[in-house]
Amino acid sequence: MMHALLWTSLLLQTQTAAPAVPPEAASLLQSGVQAENSNDLDSAIAAFRKAADLAPSSAIAFFRLGDAYMRKGDYVDAIPPLKHAAELNPDAPAIQQSLGFALLASGYASEAIPHFEKINEVGALGIAQLQSGLPADAVANLRAALIKSPNDPDLIFYLSRASAQLSSQSLDNLLASFPDSPRARQAKGQSYFQQKMYAEAEKEYQRALALRPDLPGLRLELGQIYEAQSDWPKAEKEFRQEATTQPGNAEAAYRLGDVLLQEGKMKEAAEELQRSNKLRPDMADTLYSLGRASAATDPATAEQALTRVTELEKQSPLAAQAYLALAGVHRKLGKTDQASRDMQEYRRIQSSLAVAP
Amino acid sequence: MSAIWKSQFILVVSLFSVAALAEQPNGPTPIFRVTPMRGVDFTLRNSPTQRKYLIETMPGGVAMLDYNNDGLTDIFLVNAGHVRDPMSPGLGFDRHEPAYWNRLYRQNKDGSFADVTEKAGLANAGDTNYGMGVAVGDYDNDGFPDIYVTNYGKNILYHNNGDGTFTDVTAKAGVAAGGWSASAGFFDYDNDGKLDLFVTRYLDWSVEKSKTCGEKQPTYCPPGDFPPIANVLYHNRGDGTFEDVSVASGIAAKKGHGLGVAFADYDGDGFTDVFVANDVTAQFLFHNNGDGTFSEVGLDSGAALTSNGKMLSGMGVAFQDYDNDGLPDLLVTQLPHQPYIAFHNEGHGAFSAQELESGLGALSGKASGWGVGLEDFDNDGWKDAFIMQGHVFDNISFYDGSLHYRDSPLLAMNRKGHFEKGDAGSDVPVAGRGAAFGDLNNDGWIDVLTSSLGEHPRLFQNRGGNLHWLTIILRGKRSNRDGFGARVEVNGQTRFATATGSYLSSNDKRLHFGLGDAETANIEIRWPSGIRQTMKNVKADQFVTIEESVAP
Repeated sequence: MMHALLWTSLLLQTQTAAPAVPPEAASLLQSGVQAENSNDLDSAIAAFRKAADLAPSSAIAFFRLGDAYMRKGDYVDAIPPLKHAAELNPDAPAIQQSLGFALLASGYASEAIPHFEKINEVGALGIAQLQSGLPADAVANLRAALIKSPNDPDLIFYLSRASAQLSSQSLDNLLASFPDSPRARQAKGQSYFQQKMYAEAEKEYQRALALRPDLPGLRLELGQIYEAQSDWPKAEKEFRQEATTQPGNAEAAYRLGDVLLQEGKMKEAAEELQRSNKLRPDMADTLYSLGRASAATDPATAEQALTRVTELEKQSPLAAQAYLALAGVHRKLGKTDQASRDMQEYRRIQSSLAVAP
Repeated sequence: MSAIWKSQFILVVSLFSVAALAEQPNGPTPIFRVTPMRGVDFTLRNSPTQRKYLIETMPGGVAMLDYNNDGLTDIFLVNAGHVRDPMSPGLGFDRHEPAYWNRLYRQNKDGSFADVTEKAGLANAGDTNYGMGVAVGDYDNDGFPDIYVTNYGKNILYHNNGDGTFTDVTAKAGVAAGGWSASAGFFDYDNDGKLDLFVTRYLDWSVEKSKTCGEKQPTYCPPGDFPPIANVLYHNRGDGTFEDVSVASGIAAKKGHGLGVAFADYDGDGFTDVFVANDVTAQFLFHNNGDGTFSEVGLDSGAALTSNGKMLSGMGVAFQDYDNDGLPDLLVTQLPHQPYIAFHNEGHGAFSAQELESGLGALSGKASGWGVGLEDFDNDGWKDAFIMQGHVFDNISFYDGSLHYRDSPLLAMNRKGHFEKGDAGSDVPVAGRGAAFGDLNNDGWIDVLTSSLGEHPRLFQNRGGNLHWLTIILRGKRSNRDGFGARVEVNGQTRFATATGSYLSSNDKRLHFGLGDAETANIEIRWPSGIRQTMKNVKADQFVTIEESVAP
């Protein structure tokens, strides 16, 4: 993004109102431009510097000098002439833009902000704000920039960074301002969970639950901590409670169904997974678990659910798993030809994923 | 009794009670009592290092056998070896010190054991090798069980001379293998009446190729970091020598990370098939084509992956019928956060992974499983599961606080095909590895002999009960003398005769059946020779020797 925008700026026509320049300075400017066109940036810089000396009130001379430094990649040396140019002609967008980029590229992000604001250069402004520790403003401006350029990978990258920083900052604020609140406990618990510090994570969630037993999502996350430790009965208890208090929550139903599956309670698991599928149809994970839960007792449902997974997922690892499970169902039903075809599909996907066993 | 004597008595009693309490959790009477084995002074010395050489976390095997045919079951324990930290390239594993020897203990009539290692000619075995596992079988049909020891290095075949001594016949027999061997087993794949030998090999490793993993603390590298390697099949020529038929038979065509091995005729075609538990590779099911070749059919038969298509970290394996449908099923142990897998035999050559339906999923996931057996511990007519547990990494808790290096074993009681947690009789955590199953004290109830890294072997002695049992000793005539490969059905239960299974270990070859309330049994045998034999109304609660009928 940075380089792209920098080079874009160099293509902009200068809109500075040019004051009268002495003929000798004008001639130097001309030869500087020619040197630039020949990629002789050192000669160009020397010419522009002399021109600026001869015409100290010419914004264009200082702008050209700063611009030549930027072309050379020397952003630090570009800053003084560009600053001077901006003092001489504060309303010229090209000068503001170049100065902003030079400052940003040199690490002076917060200094760059007013220059980008002045010309409403929202993409660069967002980046400068992100690097200045203003993620909320950065998110807003990068989003605005993405509306104009929706396929710019650099903008998408910076937006994701800004969003993560905003999330982290909000969390820090939460923890600093309300350290004993249920949400702060939940956030700490999540952090411990990500670090596989399960005992600490569980403790934080239990504290959160003691404060607000009705808080949606808490038991769902606590259940996942138990699930990660293969402690299925405890996971079941939490998921069941979440599913009871939030009967419309498809994820709670899915997680309950899946943990019942792990416990070998196939019939109950299938019922819960069917319920989840009704609440939010065509979730591949739900259908896959439903297929596994039904395989032994209701092969028709298993076949239907697993086939749907293969339709939804097509080439993914889950599709391969579904074909493998389908082969098992078909073997059980005595459909050996169909099972062979399933295994062919399984192998085809595995080989395309280059993880064939 | 004087006051002094009285107080000493109280002290002894209270110490005993504390020890007993440590081994016995509250609740219903456990199936087993963990008892010291008198006369057994053995420590499995794996020599853990800071370099984390992968071999040091993988031993060691145990065996139950009656080497002198006195009717009392003896035990053989494989030791590991001395590992220097670091090892110099090219240097072997020092086993000169008696502390690193394998040991043979003869059972005495009073239930104690005598160390007969040196007398039997098994001392100072395999210097420079690092010990792994053991297989037992009468390969020359002379009536005395022979011992095959697997190693990192060269494997050793000890011929039982029948006089209480053994002779190392490895060179003559041509069965040294080489590389990193793990489990092994004797079986007769071509039904010629002579036991052949299958050896699993783990991976292509050497001190020079060794790596240390772990970001914050050194730990063992996963097996996937080392190239896979082929297993070995030796055909018994019948003259005391074996031929390496690994390539000709198709066994060597598949490379994996082989650990456990087990045998059974899963498709009823009369030829014994081979299952290899592979670590972080698809499991191998070698179908015996009956013409001296094998086809690996794990994936297509449904016995290669978990029910959700994941690779197993296969360690130990048992190949017996757990749901009494007459077909041998598979139970494979693996790492934590992965359930132990029951591959249910659906018939027609197909298996389905039923780790969840069987109840094993709910009982596993928190520990690593190694040695495993499917045996009827409570004699109710259903084979239960016993699994030795303990993590690969001795510092696993540093990386995952929910996991432990040492764990107690898992006993899963079989309730009509569904497994439920039982009480193994010990909550003492150990770095469990090998396990051999058999009736050590000839009381009709199956015991378990186990190994743990850095510890003494532990005997889980079955407390017994009131239900009936029958133990069958096969004596092949046209078939191999051990009767390995025979299918034996007793009152609707089926066992496949073998001493092979578990992890690195060899089981009591006698076939034990729990009979529940039945006081008699009907026996049907299909010998590897094809001969069928039937016995009706055999009295329960006895050891029955059945000789193969010569008439087909």
